[in-house]
Amino acid sequence: MMAGGAAAGMFGSLLGLGGGVLIVPLLTLVFGLELREAVGVSLVSVIMTSSVAAGVYLERHVADLRLGMRLELFTAIGALVGGSIAFLIDERLLALLFAGLLAYVAISMLRSRESSARGAVEGTTYEVRNLPLGVVGATGAGIVSALLGVGGGIIKVPLMHLGMGVPLRVSTATSNLMVGITAAASAVIYLIHGEVDPYVAGPTAIGVFLGASAGSRIAHRVDLRVLRYLFVAVLLYTAVQMLPRVVG
Amino acid sequence: MTDFDRTIGRLLIGVTYAATALLAVGVVLMLASAISPLSGGPTLDIGSLAGDLASLQPAGFLWLGLIAVIATPITRVVAAAIAFAIADDRRMVLIALAILAVIATSVATALLTG
Repeated sequence: MMAGGAAAGMFGSLLGLGGGVLIVPLLTLVFGLELREAVGVSLVSVIMTSSVAAGVYLERHVADLRLGMRLELFTAIGALVGGSIAFLIDERLLALLFAGLLAYVAISMLRSRESSARGAVEGTTYEVRNLPLGVVGATGAGIVSALLGVGGGIIKVPLMHLGMGVPLRVSTATSNLMVGITAAASAVIYLIHGEVDPYVAGPTAIGVFLGASAGSRIAHRVDLRVLRYLFVAVLLYTAVQMLPRVVG
Repeated sequence: MTDFDRTIGRLLIGVTYAATALLAVGVVLMLASAISPLSGGPTLDIGSLAGDLASLQPAGFLWLGLIAVIATPITRVVAAAIAFAIADDRRMVLIALAILAVIATSVATALLTG
């Protein structure tokens, strides 16, 4: 459980994702937990990854706090709206559109170049562009996140990187900052409904802490191409995971 | 602003270290009591938390650690709001307060609708 948590924490901190994509299958398939219980533990793990990684990235001036807070406001609004309109939308159509979007983003990321944005990590500045697009995209990320149960990071990283001109490392670091707050809102609900098991969440969260600490400290040494290919692999994996929902 | 980012970063790291220390104590007590992680843990009972901590029950430390973990991002937004207020950056203060309001609304809506 701790080892699985460590893998998820490292993976999540490097790519700006919560790591739930690993935690939920681990707990349901390997340890036989109910899906709802696994999601409750996963939410705690996402917050742990977010807090540890964002702390390190803020300290090293890799994460963009102002941009992150602007976008997370709209993601939270999107999640609230998504939760309210869930019964109005055909989930199969949404899953199909989302899978198509992920595949398109994966191809775009493979074709993109890091260009001048690379300098930001070394201390030079970069310019955030297309803030209105970011606002719309972050709201959409919140809606999709609430409707399909996927983490917002998988949308926000390409949104910032491809759509707003933010360097890939800064995008993943800022995404780490953002995923914690929406996961915290959901985790409170799971906690109140008794869907968080402390005996499972405790060891898993410690593993996540160790993995996320290591991941955020080695992130600057990981080649950008490796980071990009890993992210594209996760995008395609998530797109494939959506297909059974399309079929219904 | 860079010192501000560093302060918020250190706050996040400090709270997560404290939360992890509580979780680690809980896991050690679990092991000492031969409790399996898959044995089904107790649900949260705020009223018995202090008693569980005083009597070194693993659940008390685990719950306190988990509450600290969940509270960390919210603490970060509150700290940012205070720091932006000190820096007289009203727009960012409003954004921080709006985030907290939306999160509170989301939790309240979810609880009211079951």
